[in-house]
Amino acid sequence: MSKKKVAIIDAGFGNISSVNNAIKHLGFDFDIITTTSNLNTHTHLILPGVGSFNKASKKLKSLGWFDAIKDFSKKSKPFLGICLGMQLMFESGDEHGDGEGLGFFKGKCEKFSQQNKYPLPHVGFNLVKHSETNIWKNIPSPSPFYFVHSYRISNIKDEAIISKTFYGEDFIAFIEKKKIFGAQFHPEKSHNVGLKLLKNFIDQN
Amino acid sequence: MVYKRIIYALLYSKGFFHLSRNFRLQQVGNVEWLKNNFGFGETCDYIDELIITLTTPNPDKKEIANYFEDIKKLKEKIFVPITLGGGIRTLEQAKNCFTNGADKILINYLAHNNMETINKISDIYGEQAITLMVDYKKIGGNNYSFINSAEKKSISLKDYFNSLKNLKFGDLIINSIQKDGSGQGLDADCLNDFLYDLKKPILLMGGAGKPEHFVSILKNEKISGLVTANLFNFLGTGLELARSYSIEKGIRLIKFSQ
Repeated sequence: MSKKKVAIIDAGFGNISSVNNAIKHLGFDFDIITTTSNLNTHTHLILPGVGSFNKASKKLKSLGWFDAIKDFSKKSKPFLGICLGMQLMFESGDEHGDGEGLGFFKGKCEKFSQQNKYPLPHVGFNLVKHSETNIWKNIPSPSPFYFVHSYRISNIKDEAIISKTFYGEDFIAFIEKKKIFGAQFHPEKSHNVGLKLLKNFIDQN
Repeated sequence: MVYKRIIYALLYSKGFFHLSRNFRLQQVGNVEWLKNNFGFGETCDYIDELIITLTTPNPDKKEIANYFEDIKKLKEKIFVPITLGGGIRTLEQAKNCFTNGADKILINYLAHNNMETINKISDIYGEQAITLMVDYKKIGGNNYSFINSAEKKSISLKDYFNSLKNLKFGDLIINSIQKDGSGQGLDADCLNDFLYDLKKPILLMGGAGKPEHFVSILKNEKISGLVTANLFNFLGTGLELARSYSIEKGIRLIKFSQ
């Protein structure tokens, strides 16, 4: 097995320095990449991001990221989407108009229900009752992770393995299928358990 | 579930972190001092979020660059959400905070002077990325908001709260200038100045000195969290104890496992 090298996509939305710091802290090699070329040398790919689904999907698509990510993933290399990066893995989202996602998972990203009595956005630590799969190794269930979002995916028609969190309603906090992983929360801002999850992701071959 | 939050605030100016008492600052130590002397990293294991405020009035470019440089050093090993701010007047300054590692920015002055800019920032970075802070004093039985490091009296706290109805933001921190640094407990009476239901997370700041203060404030249903900037009371094991004490007393706080 060749040496691991993580690529972190910087497409210009949101603060990616915490992700960089976390990967650095874990002692792995990484590059911050701003163009789609040079992805061949990387073993793992992370798409972080906060912001609006529609704006981000248009930007990613026009810069060629959709194709680059799909190509990377076709090679069975592990791919992790964080927050908006996770939402973009679904077919579509309706934040600021309808937007097209990567379509790795069947489902739509929508705003929390109007009937939800809890304040929005959902900000802060919340408990994730996880699926006990390999990526959750050495992490107790439930564990606290940091969330910042107003949109969420509540239902999917997909065979993916999901972990849910409750915030007035159940929503998908984490999703995985083969080598594709999506976290609605921010592992890079979630103390030691978050770092463990990132390490487990990079430990995936 | 909705969990309550404990947020730690650091006050930065001219290369040093400070203690504040009624908004008068006392220099304590630089970034190396903070990293090495008081188990700051361990303290961060017990907080939900960290705020680092630039308190220098009208900071020049060099001061802002130093602030970001020290934050970079500080956040290398800290994996909690970070709010930056102090003196933000323009969209450009807000952007600068985000590109230098802010998950959220702290806005004070703009809420009194230019709400349009706040909404512009919010349209780009999202409501959740904006934390408003209002500093207030009680004068003759009424609360008044203050700006420019508490030097200038603005409007009544009631009017301030009323002005927020159409503003796009996430959290609101209400900071008592008179309780600041006193360690004698927080003032929840300021919430009476709300004449409507804000439906945003409200956090109180100013006056936390011992674990009992956390419990008495956090058990209030209207309050989402507590912010403390008390360097000496809560560095070391102080916040760990305040947190576990609060959980023991039934406050819904996340229990972080180490």
